[in-house]
Amino acid sequence: MSEPIILIPLDGSEHALAALPVAKVLGDVERASLRIFHVADRRPAAGELPPTLRLAESALDDSRIDLSVGEPAAEILLIAGEIKPRLIVMCTHTAAKREKVLGSTAMNVVRNAACPVVLVAPQRGSIPWQLQHVLVPHDGTPTTSAALPPVAELARHAGAELLLAHVAEAKPAPGEPGSFTTPGYVDQPQHEWPAWSSEFIKRVACICPLDHLHVRTFLAHGDPAAEILRLAREQSTDLIARSLGEERGKRRVRRSSEGS
Amino acid sequence: MGLILPAVPTTDPEWLVVEEGFTLAREHELESLFAIGNGYAGSRASLAEGSALSAPATVVAGVFDSAMVPGLVPVADWTRLLVTIDGCPLRLDQGRNLEHRRVLDMRQGMLWREWRHQDGASRITGLRELRFASLADRHLLVQSMTLTAEDYSAAVSIDAAPSGPAIHVTNSGVTVAAAVQTRLIHAADSSAGSTEPPPDHLRLEIGPGEICRLDRVVALYTSRDTSEPLETARRHAQRAIEDIAGITAQHRDVWLARWKTSDIRVEGDPAAQRALRLAIYHLVSAANPRDDRVSIGARGLSGTAYKGHVFWDTDIFMLPFFTLTYPEAARALLMYRYHTLPAARAKAARLGYRGALYAWESTDSGKEVTPPFVVAPDGEVIRILTGEQEQHISADVAFAVWSYWEATEDECFLIEAGAEILIETARFWASRATREEDGRYHIRGVIGPDEYHETVDDNAYTNGLARWNLQVAAEVARLGAERWPDQWRALSRRLGLGSEEPREWLRVARNLYTGFDEQTGLFEQFQGYFALEDINLAAFASRTAPMDVLLGRERIRRSKIIKQPDVVMLIYLLWEQLAPEVRRVNFEYYEPRCGHGSSLSPAIHALLAARLGNIALAERYFRQAAEIDLANNMGNAAGGIHAAAMGGLWQAAVFGFAGLRLTREGPEPRPNLPPSWRSLSMRVHWRGRWHDIKVPESSGDGWKQAGTAP
Repeated sequence: MSEPIILIPLDGSEHALAALPVAKVLGDVERASLRIFHVADRRPAAGELPPTLRLAESALDDSRIDLSVGEPAAEILLIAGEIKPRLIVMCTHTAAKREKVLGSTAMNVVRNAACPVVLVAPQRGSIPWQLQHVLVPHDGTPTTSAALPPVAELARHAGAELLLAHVAEAKPAPGEPGSFTTPGYVDQPQHEWPAWSSEFIKRVACICPLDHLHVRTFLAHGDPAAEILRLAREQSTDLIARSLGEERGKRRVRRSSEGS
Repeated sequence: MGLILPAVPTTDPEWLVVEEGFTLAREHELESLFAIGNGYAGSRASLAEGSALSAPATVVAGVFDSAMVPGLVPVADWTRLLVTIDGCPLRLDQGRNLEHRRVLDMRQGMLWREWRHQDGASRITGLRELRFASLADRHLLVQSMTLTAEDYSAAVSIDAAPSGPAIHVTNSGVTVAAAVQTRLIHAADSSAGSTEPPPDHLRLEIGPGEICRLDRVVALYTSRDTSEPLETARRHAQRAIEDIAGITAQHRDVWLARWKTSDIRVEGDPAAQRALRLAIYHLVSAANPRDDRVSIGARGLSGTAYKGHVFWDTDIFMLPFFTLTYPEAARALLMYRYHTLPAARAKAARLGYRGALYAWESTDSGKEVTPPFVVAPDGEVIRILTGEQEQHISADVAFAVWSYWEATEDECFLIEAGAEILIETARFWASRATREEDGRYHIRGVIGPDEYHETVDDNAYTNGLARWNLQVAAEVARLGAERWPDQWRALSRRLGLGSEEPREWLRVARNLYTGFDEQTGLFEQFQGYFALEDINLAAFASRTAPMDVLLGRERIRRSKIIKQPDVVMLIYLLWEQLAPEVRRVNFEYYEPRCGHGSSLSPAIHALLAARLGNIALAERYFRQAAEIDLANNMGNAAGGIHAAAMGGLWQAAVFGFAGLRLTREGPEPRPNLPPSWRSLSMRVHWRGRWHDIKVPESSGDGWKQAGTAP
C-alpha cells in the first residue's frame, strides 16, 4: 500500500497558507506525505515557485510541489483523481472574496472531490494547530452515521475526542427507518436522558465503529448553525466534521477547522 | 417428534406485527417491540446470532440489584445461537439475505423468525425460529429452531451456550437460577432423532434438503420462589425438554383463552386493530396474577430502561385494562401496593406527615428510588424533584383500589387490603393539607402530572384526587362498619381509626382548595398558572422534540405549556362528578396548551376528544398514541415499550370511542366511533359477570349482552 498523501492546494495568496499548519498536523496524524499543488496561468521559471506561493524554504522540507496550468478547481480535482489523497486541506477563500464564506474553488472541490476535504478559515493564519476535539453534527439518521468512518478514523489516529452533536428542531423526524433523533417523549428525564445519550452513541457505533475513541453526545436546540458554532466554541473544538448528505450521495465528508 | 416447529404461525395479518428485511439501526426498538414475556420473566427479541446493535436481556419481575438507584437485573442470555456452516458463521451482515422476516404472533404469544441466507460459497440455508415465554408455565422460556441445508452438504456447528452463568446472585441477595436444556434432532440420526446428552456445542453433518431442529428451554427460579432455585430449575427444564409440543400447545391455549376475554375487535381499521392488540399483548405479557409482590414497570418486561421502576403508570394507565378484563392480575398489582404500604408510611413519616405517601418510583420494597438528579445531554444538571413532590401518586393508588372494588365487589380484597390503602392515603392527605387564613385547606409545593411546573401550590389534579381520596376513604369506613362490622372493628383497632377521623377527612375534603372558577368553569392548574406566558403551540406543530427541549426548561416553566393532561386528567377520572360544560371548557382550554412531552398524553387526549364528540381530533391523538412504539423513525421504543401508553391506548378505545361508562346497572357504551370503524367490540368483567359490548356503526347506540357468571 502506497504512502497516504495530503493534498494542499495553494493559490499564492497569504491567506491560503493558513492551510499549512493544519495540513502538517494532519500529515503527522495520518502518517501522510504532504503534496502542495499550485494552479497557475502560466508555467513559472525554475526557482520562481516558492516565492510565488509565499513559502518559506523550511515549509518545503518534506513536501513536494506540483504545478499545473488551467482552471484551479478542475485541476485540483484532476490531480486528486490521479493521486487519490487521503485528504485535501485548503483555505475556504482568499481575501478578495471575503463576502462569501466559501470561495468558488473551495466550493467546487468540496462538492466534487472523492476524498474528505478540510477547509481552513484564512484568519487562522500561521498559528499552530492541534487536533484534540472533533465536533460532528449528527441528524440521527443511519445515513449520516455511514458517512462518519473517515472522521472516526482521524480522531482515533489523533487521540482526539469525538463530540456528537444533535440539534433539536421544530420539524418532522427524518423518514429514514432506524433514525434516532431527539426523544419524542421525555417521560422522566432522570431515566430518559442517560438512555438517550447511550442509545445515540450505540446507533452511531453499530454503523461506524467507535472503538478506542472517547465519545460524548450533546443535545442542543435552536438554529442548527448557531448551536454548532456555540458548541464548537464551548468545547474548544479543533475540527467540525459534517457530511454533505444528500448533496453528495451522503457518502463523503467535509471537514472544516475552526477559525479561531 | 418431527422436524417441523411445534406450532404454526397465525395467518390473519391483524394478529401480526411484521418486520421485513433488516435495518441494523432498528434492532433495539425491534427487540422491545417483539419482546416475549409472561409476567414472571421477559426476554428481548434479540437476534440469536447477535448483531452490532443487539442488546439481549432477560429479566425476572421483582429481581432488582441494590445499587443507589436499583434496577432490574438481566440474567444470562439464553437465546444465543451461533450457527456455522463449514466454519462460516451464519449472520445477517455476511452473505446475502434472500428473505428475512420477524413476526410477532400476538394471538399465540409467539415470536417467529424466517430467514433464507446465501453465504459466500452460494450455499442457501433456511432458518425458522420460534420463541415464547410460556403463559401456561411461567417459569419456562422456549426456543425452537429448524435449519435447512437447501442445496449443500456441510458440517453444521451450533454454539448454544448461554452467555452467562446459571446462577446469579444480586447484590440485594436474591439468587436467580437459569437452567437450560437443549436438544438437537436430525433426520439422519437413527437413534430417535436426538443427540444425547445435549452439549452446548452441537455438530452434525447435513446434506442437501435435510433439516435439523434444535429445541431449547430455560427454566427460571429465584430464591424468592424456592430455597433451591437451581435444582428446581434443572428438574423443571429436564421435564420440559421432553415435551416441547405439549408445552407449546398449553401456552397457545392459555393465550387463546386470554384473548377471549381481553381482545378488542375493530372492524374497518386494521392499523388500529393491530395497535390495540399489540397494547394488550404487552400488557398481558407484563402481568402475573400469581405474584402479588411485584408490579409492572414503565417498560413492562421488554427492556431494562427505567430500571423496571413502578410509577403511577400502573395504577392509572394500566390497571383499568386488568380490572375489566383480567381481574386476578389487577388484584395482584394492587396487592403489591398493599405489601409496600410500610414503605409508603415510612416516606410520609419522614416528610412529617401521617398515613401513606407512595414512592414516585418504586421497586420490590416500595421505597422511594427516584434518582435525585440527572445530567441532560445539553450539560444541564437537572435536580429531580418528583420523588419528593409528585405526591398525587397516593391518590392514584387509592383511585385504582376503589375502581377495582367497584368493578369486582371483591370484598375479601377490600377488607383485607384495599380499605387499609384508602385509609392510609386519606390520612396522608388530611395531614398534608393545611388550613390557612382563608379558611380553606391548601396543598403547597407539589408537582402535578404536568411535570414542567415544579413546586406549585394547589395543583388542580393533586387537590382534586386528594379530595376524592378523602371522600372515598370516609365512604369505605361507612361501608365497612355497615357491611362487615366485626372485621371493620378489628381493622379500625389495628389502624387506630376512630369514628371522628372519617368526619375530619370529609371536613378537609369539603374545604380543600380546588382552583375552580364558577364564572368560567375552568380549573386553574395551579395557583398563578393563568398569569403565565401563553405560547402558541401551533407554531411548533410539526416537531418531534418535546417543547422543553426546544424552548428550554426555564422558558417552559414561565409558560402555560404543559407536559401532559393535568386538569384534563382530572376531568377524565372524575367525569361523572363534573358538569358537561365544565368538561368541555377545560378540555378546550388545556388541550391547545399541551405539548405532549409525555407518552401518557396522546391517548388521554384521544379519549377525552372522543367523549366530547371531536372525533377527528380523537383519531389524530389515537394514531399518535399508537405510533409511540410502532413508528420506525424515532427510536422511542429502544429501551422498552411504553406500557402506560399502551394502557392508555386501550382506555382511549374502550372509554373514548366505545364511550363505556361503568354504572350501577352495568357497563354502558355511548359510542363515539371514527367514521372508518364499522364496529368496536370487547368483553368486560363487571361485578362477577362478563359483558359483551359491541358498538355498531349505524345505530349510534351500542348494545351489550350480559354474559354468564365466571
